Amino acid sequence: MTDKEHIVSAFDRDLAAVQTLIMKMGGMVETAISDAARALELRDVELAEQVRKNDKQIDALEEQVASEVARIIATRSPTAGDLRTVLTVLKISGNLERMGDYAKNLGKRTSVLSEMPAINGSGGALRRMVQLVSLMLKDALDAYIQRDVALAEDVRRRDGDVDQMYNALFREFLTHMMEDPRNITACMHLHFIAKNVERMGDHVTSISEQVIYLVTGGLPEEDRDKQDKTSIDSALGKV
Amino acid sequence: MSKDIKISAKGVDVFYGDTHAIKNVNVDIEDKAVTAFIGPSGCGKSTFLRCINRMNDTIDICRVTGDILLENEDIYAKSVDPVQLRARVGMVFQKPNPFPKSIYDNVAYGPTIHGLAKNKSELDEIVEQSLRRAAIWDEVKDRLHQPGTGLSGGQQQRLCIGRAIATAPEVLLMDEPCSALDPIATAQVEELIDELRASYTVVIVTHSMQQAARVSQKTAFFHLGEVVEYGDTDKIFTNPEDSRTESYITGRIG
Repeated sequence: MTDKEHIVSAFDRDLAAVQTLIMKMGGMVETAISDAARALELRDVELAEQVRKNDKQIDALEEQVASEVARIIATRSPTAGDLRTVLTVLKISGNLERMGDYAKNLGKRTSVLSEMPAINGSGGALRRMVQLVSLMLKDALDAYIQRDVALAEDVRRRDGDVDQMYNALFREFLTHMMEDPRNITACMHLHFIAKNVERMGDHVTSISEQVIYLVTGGLPEEDRDKQDKTSIDSALGKV
Repeated sequence: MSKDIKISAKGVDVFYGDTHAIKNVNVDIEDKAVTAFIGPSGCGKSTFLRCINRMNDTIDICRVTGDILLENEDIYAKSVDPVQLRARVGMVFQKPNPFPKSIYDNVAYGPTIHGLAKNKSELDEIVEQSLRRAAIWDEVKDRLHQPGTGLSGGQQQRLCIGRAIATAPEVLLMDEPCSALDPIATAQVEELIDELRASYTVVIVTHSMQQAARVSQKTAFFHLGEVVEYGDTDKIFTNPEDSRTESYITGRIG
């Protein structure tokens, strides 16, 4: 990677502009996630509704990024680090858009859940999980801006913690449902929320991997520890 | 899969009088592949290209040291006749330069002086085959005895490529073969280069980075007379090792 300026300065402006869009998108997704989590915890239906509405703007930004990237490829024929920048921007915008969708879904389920009795203890655990993912997202975006591979690697490792928290919640919701079938509807919603937050962690991981690709030109080699074992465990009757 | 090495340059230096134009160049050029030389003006890429068929011999003040081996034979050895060498290592230049003769004679000239044809029908055969390989036969077959200079620029360049391959060379050197051509003619010549690599070792000097990326399998980046980086074209254009290579191919100052 080189930080020298292009001879054609408009190329620098194009690259800077599209990366600004990504940062704007990242900021909006961070807000969406924390607002959605707060709405869930406080049973704030209005805030949840706001999160749902704001997702349209995130979607619009993703489209804007895609068309900017197409234009840069068509008109500037980027190579090497420039090529990796535009490819990375495109993929990251896709990851962010999906995260926005999950936040929106959280908002939708909050509206339903607020009509039901609360499930003991689930709120705090979900909140910690969301905080973990939010911090990962913030660090992944910082790693992108700073081109910081070490930080990106660190974010990637932390996804294992999110998976473990999801496993714990999975078991907890299962217990609640077995205890009292009236909990099933709420627990199903809460479980989907936990699963969606776990998926957000996967998208943050993918963003970190893009940072590593952007800087080194290669993807990390060793596989991450797969901590979400619910699918295997349940098949084996271990839960 | 590693390919056979056709040309091997070892510790090559070139001087024009006091100017040290090429500094310790070590490059192995693969057989039946296209190798591109890129770099800013004055970096030595054309000078080095011209060493491969001893075109620099024609410049009095030019001195070449080090070894350039063509199939393990030193092309600068006393026993090597430069004229014979140039039959084995053909060259196509920046500006199409057909002889002021007929299309047929342009192509027939080389094979005639090198005695490659025993009679007229063999010569006819060589001319047709060469023009077919140069992807221009269909356009000129009905006007073989009209002047080559009457063709369009793109046709002239393909005629020159046909002329270069008429002596059945093993290596084709191309010095900016498309810089005087429009995009359509350029695309035709690039398509031709891709076909030619099945039979020849092609070395191309180009100022168009995109052209190097499109036509070559190997790329060498020259800077201030040195080879800064040499490797697979895919690698050079997606993830070069040296920051100077990156600066150059991405269009930055450097």
